[in-house]
Amino acid sequence: MSAAFPPRQKVTFLPDINKLEKRSPAQELTSPWSRMQKRGKETEPTQPARSQTPTVSKDEIALFRNSVRQNACVEMLRGGFHRSFSELFSLLQRWKEIRLAAGPGSAIWQHKSLEEQTAKLHTLQHYLTGAEAALRAGEWSTVYDKRVFLAQYFREPEDSWLSCHFYQTSLTSARRVKIDGGRKEAEALANMGQVYMEQGNYRLMGQVHMEQGQLDSAREQYERFYQLTAGRAWSREGGRSLHRQACEGLWRVYTQLADTPLQAKDYKAAIHTLSKAFQMAKEAGDHRIEGQAAYRVGLAYQFVGDQVTAKRFLNMYMEISTALGDAGGLGKAYKAIAKSLESEGKLSETVQYLEKFAEVSQSNNQYLNLEEACMYLGVIFNSRGQYKKGCTYFERGYEIACDLGDVPLLQRAQVFVGSARAHSMIRNYSRYVETASHGDLLHLTGWKESREDVFTDATAPAGAGESREDVFTDATAPAGAGESREDVFTDATAPAGAEGKI
Amino acid sequence: MSSITKSKSHVSSLMSAINPLANPRGAKKQCELCQNPAYLQCSKCRVTFYCDTEHQQADWVGIHEKVCQLLIPIRTATLFHSLQADRDHHCAQILHRQEELIEISRAVAQKKLFEGKYQESLPAAQLSLRCAMDVYGSSAVQLVPAYLLLAEANVGLGSLAQAEEYLSQAEWTVMKTPECSQTVRHQLHRNLGRLYTATENLEGALLHFANDVYYASEEYGLDNIVTCGGYFLMANVFIKQEKMDIASSLYTEVASTWHSHLTKLLETHTQGSMTLEHSFDEAQQAEADQMLRAMLKVQESSPKQAAAQNALVAHSLAMLWFLGGSPDKALEFGRKALQSSQLVSDHSLTEPIQSLLQLAAEKGPHPTNAS
Repeated sequence: MSAAFPPRQKVTFLPDINKLEKRSPAQELTSPWSRMQKRGKETEPTQPARSQTPTVSKDEIALFRNSVRQNACVEMLRGGFHRSFSELFSLLQRWKEIRLAAGPGSAIWQHKSLEEQTAKLHTLQHYLTGAEAALRAGEWSTVYDKRVFLAQYFREPEDSWLSCHFYQTSLTSARRVKIDGGRKEAEALANMGQVYMEQGNYRLMGQVHMEQGQLDSAREQYERFYQLTAGRAWSREGGRSLHRQACEGLWRVYTQLADTPLQAKDYKAAIHTLSKAFQMAKEAGDHRIEGQAAYRVGLAYQFVGDQVTAKRFLNMYMEISTALGDAGGLGKAYKAIAKSLESEGKLSETVQYLEKFAEVSQSNNQYLNLEEACMYLGVIFNSRGQYKKGCTYFERGYEIACDLGDVPLLQRAQVFVGSARAHSMIRNYSRYVETASHGDLLHLTGWKESREDVFTDATAPAGAGESREDVFTDATAPAGAGESREDVFTDATAPAGAEGKI
Repeated sequence: MSSITKSKSHVSSLMSAINPLANPRGAKKQCELCQNPAYLQCSKCRVTFYCDTEHQQADWVGIHEKVCQLLIPIRTATLFHSLQADRDHHCAQILHRQEELIEISRAVAQKKLFEGKYQESLPAAQLSLRCAMDVYGSSAVQLVPAYLLLAEANVGLGSLAQAEEYLSQAEWTVMKTPECSQTVRHQLHRNLGRLYTATENLEGALLHFANDVYYASEEYGLDNIVTCGGYFLMANVFIKQEKMDIASSLYTEVASTWHSHLTKLLETHTQGSMTLEHSFDEAQQAEADQMLRAMLKVQESSPKQAAAQNALVAHSLAMLWFLGGSPDKALEFGRKALQSSQLVSDHSLTEPIQSLLQLAAEKGPHPTNAS
C-alpha cells in the first residue's frame, strides 16, 4: 500500500487573476512549474515519505495469524473476564466430546464446529463478557437477561444443548435476584421446564428411559414454578399470567408422563397421573385443555373397567366440546361413551350415541369418522341380528370408503357387507338346502348363476338389499327374541358361510 | 573467617593450575562461564576449565557439583573403534548422555529460579543451552526452554536487555516452527509477560499472559495448577493497574484450584498410596509457596476481609508444608486457617483443617506444640 509516486498535483496553467488578494510581484508565481513546487513544499510535510510502509499493529497481526477461537479467548482474558473465558472454553470442549462420543456417521459429525462459526463466537464473547461485568458489579438481573438472550439466540436444533446450558445458568443467576420476589426465578423455571419437554420430544421413541428422566426433571421444574406462582398475579408480556402457564405446563407434563404407564399397562398409576393432569387443567381455566384432560381420564377408566366414572368424565368432555363447538371432540366423546355403554351391555343406548356420532361427523364432513361410525353401527346391528340395518350401514360405510379411496378401509367394508348379506340370507338358504324340493333347487341354482337374491318371492333388483332383508327378517324368528340364538348361529356358521357360499 | 579458609582449601583441592602456553598447538582452553583463556582446571573431571577461582566457585555451586562426572565421557576425545557398529553405538551413547545432561541442568536451573536464586541459576542454564546447541543445532526449537530459563534469570537479576535478547531469540525460533508444542508456547508467553511486567508495559504483559493461559488450558486443561500460575501472574498485573475486583476474582480462582489439588494429594497420601517425598516436585512446591503467601498477604491487607478466602488459602499452605515435609509450618498455617474458618458461616472447611492439624501434630518433631 505504499504510494508508488506522489499523487498528481493539480495546478492551474495560468496564474489566477480573479483572486482579489493583493500580492507583491515577488510572491507571484508565474510559471506552473514554480507553482507546483510551492504546492509540493506545502503538502510535503503532510504526505508520507515514499518509502514508508503503513505499520500494522501487533493486534492486527495476531488477528490474522491466530485462529478465531484463540483471538476471542485472548480478548476476553485481556479484559480480565476469566470466567467468560473458562465458560467458552469448556463449551467448545464439550462440543468436541459430544461429537466424539456420537462417532462418525451420526448427525452431529457433519455439523460445523462452533469455533468455526465466527458470528456465534463473537455473539457469545460479547454477551458473556457483558454478563461477567454485570456479575462483578452485582447486578444479577442484567446477568439473567443476557443469559436468556443467549439461550434464545441458539434456536437451531443442533444448538439445543447450548440453549439448555444457558437456561440452566440463567436459572442460577435468577435465584440470586432477590428484589422482585422470585419472579425472574419463576420465569427461568418455566423456561427450564419448556426445555426439558422439548428435549424429551426430540429423543427417539425407543429410548423411553431417557425420556422419562427428562420428563421427571421437567415435572420438578414445573412444580417449583407452580409453587412460586401460586397466589401471585405476575404476568408475562402478552398478558398471559404465569400461574396459568404453570398449570398448563404441569398438565402437559403429567399427560406425557402418563404415557409410559399406559404402555406398560399399569393403569392405576396412569389414572393417578391423569387425574392430577385434569386438576391442573381445571385450575388453568382453559376449557379446551380441561376437556382434553377429561377425555384422557375417561379413556383410562375405560381400560380399567370402571365405566361409571369413565362415563362421568366423558360426559364432561362432551359438554365442554358442545360449548366450544368442537365437533371433532364431540365425535370422539360420543364414540367413547358408546364404547363404555357397549361394555356395560346397554346396546340401545350405544346405538343412540353412535347415531349421534354419525350425525356429527356427517355435518362436519369428517368422513373417516363417519365411516367408522357406520361400521360400528353395522357391527352392533349384526350382533343383534338386525341384518337389514347392519347391511345398510355397512353399505353406507363402503360407499364412503370408496369416496375416500382408502383401500384397506374399502376392503374391510367389503368384507363386512358381504358377511352381513350372508348372515341375512343364510337362514333361508340352509332351509332350502335341507328341504331340497324342486322349487328350492331351482331357486338355488338361479341364485348361483346370477347371485341375485332369489330367496324372496318377488325378484327384487340386484342392489336392493332392503326388500331382501325384510323378507328374511319376517321369515326368520323375531329379532329381539332370537338374539341369543342368532348370535350362536352367526358365530357358528359365519366362517363356514362366508367361505363356502360367497 | 575459618569458613572462608575452609572453603578456599576445599576449593583449591578441586583445582589445579594450568598454563595456557603449555596447551597443545591450536587447543584453546576457555573458561566455562566467560570464555576467557583458562588458568584453572577442575581436578575431579579434568575436562572443565576456569579463568579464576570466582568463576570456579560459581560454577561449582551452580551446576558442576552435580554433573562433574557426567561431563567426562562427553568432553574427552572419542576412542578409535574399528567396527562401524561400535562407532554408531558410541555415538548413540554420547547422544544419550548429552540429553541426560540437558535434562539435569534444566531441572537444576528451574529449581533455583523458583527459589529465587537467579545468579546461581545462570551456570546451569548456560550449560543446558550449550548442550542443546551441540545436540540439536543452533536454531532448533529444543533450545527454546533453555533460552526461556536464561531470560527468566536475567529478568530476576534485572538485566532486562539481556533477557529481551534471549526472549526475542526464543520468539523467533517458535515463530519459525509452526508445529511447536503448546507447552513451549505457553512458557514463552509467560516469560514474555514477566519481562513486560518488569518493564512496566502492562498492556503488553496482559496480552502475553492471556496467550499463556490460553495455551496452558489447551495443553493441561482449565483446572490445572499450571494454568492457574498464569492467572496469578495476570492478577499481579491487574493489581498494578489498580483493578482490584478483577484481581480478587482471579485470586479466588487460583486459590480454589490449588486447594482442590492439594486436598487430592493429601487424600492419596493418607490412604497410603504415596510417600511424602514423591508427592511434590520441589520446584512446584517453591512456586506454590510463593504464590499462596503473596495471595494471603494481599488478602489480609485488603480492606474487606473475606474470611472464607483466607481460610482457604491458609489451609492450602498448611497442606503444602505438610506434604513438603515440615509439619511445624503446617501447624502454624493450620491454626490460622482454623481461626478464619470459624468466622465463616459455612463450616465445611473446619473439619478437614482439624484433621490436618492432628496429622501434623502426630508427625511433628515437637509433640508439645500440638494444638
